[in-house]
Amino acid sequence: MRAATAEGPGKVLLEMKGIGKTFPGVKALQGVSLTVREGQVHALLGENGAGKSTLIKILSGAYAKDEGEILWEGKPVAIRGPEDAQALGISTIYQEFNLGRQLTVAENIFLGQLPRKGFRVDWKTARARSRELLDRLGARISVDAKVERLSVAEQQLVEIAKALNRKTRLLVMDEPSAVLGEGDLERLFEVVRSLQQQGIGIVYISHRLVEIFALADEVTVLKDGRYVATKRVADVQMDDLVRLMIGRDLKDVYPRRATPAGPVLLEVKNLRRPKLVHDVSFHVRAGEIVGFSGITGSGRTEVVRAVFGADPHTAEMTMEGRPYRPRSPKDAIRSGVALVTEDRKGQGLFLKLNVAVNTTISAIRSVTRGGVIRRAKESALVEKMIRDLRIKTPSARFLVVNMSGGNQQKVILARWLSVHTKLLIMDEPTRGIDVGSKAEIYQIMDELTKRGVGIIMISSELPEVLGMSDRIYVMREGTIVGELARGAASEEAIMKYAVGGELAAAG
Amino acid sequence: MSTVATTSPAPPRTDFLRSLGSFPILGPVAALILACIFFATQSDRFLSGANFSLILQQVVVVGTLAIGQTLVILTGGIDLSNGMIMALSSVLMTGLYANSGMDPYLAVLVGMAVCVAFGVVNGWLHTFIGLPPFIVTLGTYSIAYSLVRIYTTATITDVPPALNFFGDTFRIGSTAITYGTVAMIVLYVIAWFVLRSTPAGRAVYAVGDNPEAARLAGIHTGRVLIAVYTIAAISYGIAGLLLVGRMGVGDPNTGQNGNLESITAVVLGGTSLLGGRGYIMGTLVGALIVGVFRNGLQLMGIGSNYQVLITGVLVILAASVDYLSHRGK
Repeated sequence: MRAATAEGPGKVLLEMKGIGKTFPGVKALQGVSLTVREGQVHALLGENGAGKSTLIKILSGAYAKDEGEILWEGKPVAIRGPEDAQALGISTIYQEFNLGRQLTVAENIFLGQLPRKGFRVDWKTARARSRELLDRLGARISVDAKVERLSVAEQQLVEIAKALNRKTRLLVMDEPSAVLGEGDLERLFEVVRSLQQQGIGIVYISHRLVEIFALADEVTVLKDGRYVATKRVADVQMDDLVRLMIGRDLKDVYPRRATPAGPVLLEVKNLRRPKLVHDVSFHVRAGEIVGFSGITGSGRTEVVRAVFGADPHTAEMTMEGRPYRPRSPKDAIRSGVALVTEDRKGQGLFLKLNVAVNTTISAIRSVTRGGVIRRAKESALVEKMIRDLRIKTPSARFLVVNMSGGNQQKVILARWLSVHTKLLIMDEPTRGIDVGSKAEIYQIMDELTKRGVGIIMISSELPEVLGMSDRIYVMREGTIVGELARGAASEEAIMKYAVGGELAAAG
Repeated sequence: MSTVATTSPAPPRTDFLRSLGSFPILGPVAALILACIFFATQSDRFLSGANFSLILQQVVVVGTLAIGQTLVILTGGIDLSNGMIMALSSVLMTGLYANSGMDPYLAVLVGMAVCVAFGVVNGWLHTFIGLPPFIVTLGTYSIAYSLVRIYTTATITDVPPALNFFGDTFRIGSTAITYGTVAMIVLYVIAWFVLRSTPAGRAVYAVGDNPEAARLAGIHTGRVLIAVYTIAAISYGIAGLLLVGRMGVGDPNTGQNGNLESITAVVLGGTSLLGGRGYIMGTLVGALIVGVFRNGLQLMGIGSNYQVLITGVLVILAASVDYLSHRGK
């Protein structure tokens, strides 16, 4: 399937041996090894919190290692800072790009090392050389375009060009696909393959297994900060990797749904938001998981934010048969409605505050007596949540910013389970979360429905929608265009409604 | 924090700084103690009850201004108007009695009401018009400044005895302590308790950390912000009262540096200017650090211009330690 593997291994560029790193209270890495050859794509696989980021930060000089050694072309080297890594020819492209948004493409590519002619910057050379690098990547971007005007995919290409310009021999890419849409993914793959052909070693981080099989020659799996295995991709199956990564099988990820739907919990009629949502009506029953599918921008998030009282809207709604008119999230919460937002860090968490505060913020009145927060009550509540949801944290006083995506999401769930939530709305509940935590979150959702909680789940991942939903609404351009029962739903059926095939009669 | 695994024997320097991040109050307290030890070795007059009482009196006004400033900064804002709101309240409280013959208690109430009005305006402009607090309070700073000048340019010396109360002293042993000092400490304790142990305190931190998340968690962020700016303004009014008690006059030339001096105390106390992280008691310690340095340098015969210079160095040092201890988080 892969041409490069057949060409045989290039010479060894990088060897990391027995790398260890300790943060106060946490052993982040222990005995981790990684070997990368010239012209090899080496995937680094592991759940969030497995230590991938820490390892590459050590490699790029952002962190100092506590144990182990690093060999570059067989010789021991010390990487004390980003300059050392760069001098060796190691470049890292993080998820958050390191680009001057106001600067042009050429300026970014040559940032800090503009060619000079006497005392003046030699723009001609800089622009010509930038053009050449971009052409090598097949990127049709003007070298004079301001970076802020480029799409995310184009910015990524600028980052790669910048790395190439620095005579990079080993390129580390931290989840490069996470920021890209489907269409841009294939382009990224082509770029990675062409870099590989040029003899550059690539460390490719992703937790999407499909990409690893499409791109990588070898894969190293980490789990809980420890080295698990290094395998040739040709020798393993997807299930093997999942097992190495999370210690169980993939098919067990979705719980078997067997909760009978109860009475109607939420009824929405003629929900409208100017230009965003047109006359949407739907209902959710107690104990039911209702999926909302559709392409990004189809109005799904706008609908649920209105139901949560977060945005102005007009609608006739009832909760448990009683009129429901939320004018603010506070009203919604009082009626038992909760929203897990799509943007966990921007709209959900208080990153600089601890697990306890994040958990009890909405339920604070329930642990308050006489106007004073009772520490004992609060701790009891938080400890129960940490136990019930299996939140991995050294203590309730641990800052949320230092937790993995899956655990952060559990903290948000803990917040809503601390108030009497009857309807839980989850917008992309497992985005950016590793497979293991995903399974746990599905499990929690299933448990909740058994207690009579109704769930609305927005998801762009079709397997997730199909695997979890009892009923699916499909949205397009601000309206509901289809409703599918669990048995009748398939990826094809959903896509037909979502993109607007001729069969899309309103459901 | 429990240790999950054994740590390596020789932790690098940054680990010490990181651990400061977990106990942010330790840094300022350590600095304060070290400063006291240093000045005690430099001057035998430093370590005395009377001198400490004097230091406290000297920090009372800025210390009280800094309570409101801390609340505002915890929400991610900043209040440049605080010193002038204090000045306006203090000339009104004294002037309405001296020039208009108003009952002194009523005059105090009017002064406080003006503070409340300024606080509501600050909060409202920030919340509902969406202006950055820097701009809003820069504007209200100038407005309050000019209102003071319009009202009076002369120092009001005819102060009713009731307003001198906070300058009066009682004795513990041989040391005289002003009621103003006690008032400031009581205010700190109240603020500490509210921030630490009430839903309102939690809301302040939550709004400061992430306003949108706070709204979606069911907090009325607008109400919280208006309340914070208003309560802060009340603390400026109380600072005005303490100022009158301490000086014995209503001074229209005061308060212009109140904003920067109070921000200095907040920063020295380890509160982040980005909001959501900080400790009110740190601010008290921060104010005391400034007071101890001024007093100690004075005793060493070092002039006031150098004292300000050293305050500047302290701010930069404190901010650097804070930055290093939170880097990478």
